Amino acid sequence: MRIVVGIKWVPNTQAVRFDPKTGTLIRAGVPSIVNPHDFPAIELALRLKDMYGGEVIAVTMAPPSATQGLEHVLGMGVDKGILLTDRKFAGADTLATSYVIAKGIEKISKEIGPVDVAIFGHETIDSSTAHIGAQVASWLGWPYVYYARDAKLVEDGKLRVTRQTEKAVEEYEVNLPAVVATAIKALKPRPVRLSYKLRAKIEKPIIAWNIEDLGLDPRCTGLKGSPTVVANITWMPEVPRKKIVYTPKDPRDAARWILKQLFSDESVAGFLKKALWGEE
Amino acid sequence: MSSQTPTKFDVVVVGAGPAGASAAYLLAKAGYKVLIVERGRGAGTKELFGGKIYAEPLRTVWPDLDKEAPIHRWVTRERISFVKGERVTTVEFKLGRKVAFTTYLTEMAKWMTNKAVESGAILVDEVRVDEIIVENGRVKGIRSGPDTIEADVVVDAEGVNRILLEKLGLAEKIKPDQVALGVKEVINIGKKAMNERLLLDEGEGLAWFMVGDVTAGIPGGGFMYTMKDTIALGLVLHIGKAYEAAKTGELKHTVPMLLEKLRTHPFFSKIWGDADVLEYGAHMTIEGGLRYMPKKLYMPGLVVVGDAAGLLLNTGYTIRGVDYAVYSGKLAAETIIEALESDGPTEENLRKYEERVRESFMFRELVKHRGIEKVMEDPMFFTKLPAMLNILLAKLYEQDYEEPTVLEALLDSVKESDVSLSKFMLKLFSVVSKL
Repeated sequence: MRIVVGIKWVPNTQAVRFDPKTGTLIRAGVPSIVNPHDFPAIELALRLKDMYGGEVIAVTMAPPSATQGLEHVLGMGVDKGILLTDRKFAGADTLATSYVIAKGIEKISKEIGPVDVAIFGHETIDSSTAHIGAQVASWLGWPYVYYARDAKLVEDGKLRVTRQTEKAVEEYEVNLPAVVATAIKALKPRPVRLSYKLRAKIEKPIIAWNIEDLGLDPRCTGLKGSPTVVANITWMPEVPRKKIVYTPKDPRDAARWILKQLFSDESVAGFLKKALWGEE
Repeated sequence: MSSQTPTKFDVVVVGAGPAGASAAYLLAKAGYKVLIVERGRGAGTKELFGGKIYAEPLRTVWPDLDKEAPIHRWVTRERISFVKGERVTTVEFKLGRKVAFTTYLTEMAKWMTNKAVESGAILVDEVRVDEIIVENGRVKGIRSGPDTIEADVVVDAEGVNRILLEKLGLAEKIKPDQVALGVKEVINIGKKAMNERLLLDEGEGLAWFMVGDVTAGIPGGGFMYTMKDTIALGLVLHIGKAYEAAKTGELKHTVPMLLEKLRTHPFFSKIWGDADVLEYGAHMTIEGGLRYMPKKLYMPGLVVVGDAAGLLLNTGYTIRGVDYAVYSGKLAAETIIEALESDGPTEENLRKYEERVRESFMFRELVKHRGIEKVMEDPMFFTKLPAMLNILLAKLYEQDYEEPTVLEALLDSVKESDVSLSKFMLKLFSVVSKL
């Protein structure tokens, strides 16, 4: 089984600050990480490989610095890394990104071997669109299942994907090749292993493909290929919060007091009544 | 694993800090197959130290240090401030010669490790070493999770928290009175403001040590180092005493609050009060080098370098750890090369490493200053004397009409700061003899 897993090299948004004047990200000095929501996808890919053999190939569209991220997932047991990198890919929205990734997957199928499954994370922490899986599936014309928590092969070579929605566990069977997107925190990722990291350092199984390698039209990639325009960014006004300290001797008084405070706010009271007693 | 990937190296170095990187660099340069295993993401990421490093010992490994290394500023001024509340007495020394520079060890360790990698060493990061494997009294390699790597020699450069050495039985479990907690903030003051406010020329640096009630009665002190365009401000606190004081309720503040108090101190904050804090971090450091030294720095197939070997000198006014780490890495590499070129890393051959450490300036220094940490733990030095000095000067200067004589002021300040004069003279002698 040949499994492609898409990863994104993202700034650690917990460390990113915004410039309040320009509304842009201050990325200087912020370390990049592999998008945390990609780890369930990587884990699912590695589990499929554990069960059925074959290889896992991580794909990312990013500047060359993302090699560090690819090395990280190689350390988890991913076999190869493909870095789709070109200045002409910069400034891409999800349409242009998914286009490049889909073309990358086609090239893998042609040159390395046919891809059976492409797995993506739910979304990225730096843009939260959750588009890429669906868009890649649509470029490739492959079936697509999202919110996946598990997958396995069943009769007729189909992939049975388990997904969990709010109220039900659903199982879908799809023909391969297919695209799967995992749910957030669906699977706990395995740790990096010394032997895999060492293999990555010595064999350097990372291939970089640029726009010419992929044979793409520059009008369809990067900023030029991106119809999305960020029209405006506005700021959430800071909510002034008041602080009240109440220190009774008897903790029961504290409990009563805090309930009284909560129920004095109409919207909080409504929420609590619904949550506690099912009252509408 | 594919056949291309080796499972055996000549040398495995545990930890990509200054000690490990220096050893790895010299061994790789000599043509040995070296693997460096580092827990952090990239070399240097587990370091916290931001301060003053003595250059000459480093040049013995890195002759191009001055040209290539990430040196921030050369220390041209040393300051000590004695603090009692809002009163501050400062002594400043302008150096006549450049002997030490400031830098962040994160950058320095990364630079050193890159040099090792350029020379052929392989760095594997994000991986923890769980065990040093011993067979028949001889170190055979390392284990990390399910993976083992064989090595002729393992260089233990795991740092101050030596979990591997404890497992091996070479080092005892850390005792709270052997270590100190260092906390550090990076403040984004900017080059221009720094140079103007601290009267520094381009490339010149200041090392500033604060002693007194900045540590709220806990043995230790404050520090400030000028980097290129940021400053490193922090505290070093004796862990054992801090823990006791927190238990008895004597220490009312958390450690971050103590540092906040130092940063917002009405005197010091004039320098950086308008600048943003970029980082806060904490790390453990060695309090007394010789007490922290393992029983042996070697066994067949193993040498211990850097902090793990207890090679750090802390005299209170100066901390030397990075240069000791580099120098021990050098001695280790030289010994390993000799051993591998003769009849192998035997007990006999690696003993020479410990002998070299014991013959070096590091060991002579550690012996000379032995016990200084015990003296420094006396509140007389880090609280009462700074208080006395400030009370004395207050008596002389804070008068509207009549000043006391110096003797009167001295006797009064001795009394008010609860310093016994005879004890003070005795203590002073024991300190000066060990400093």
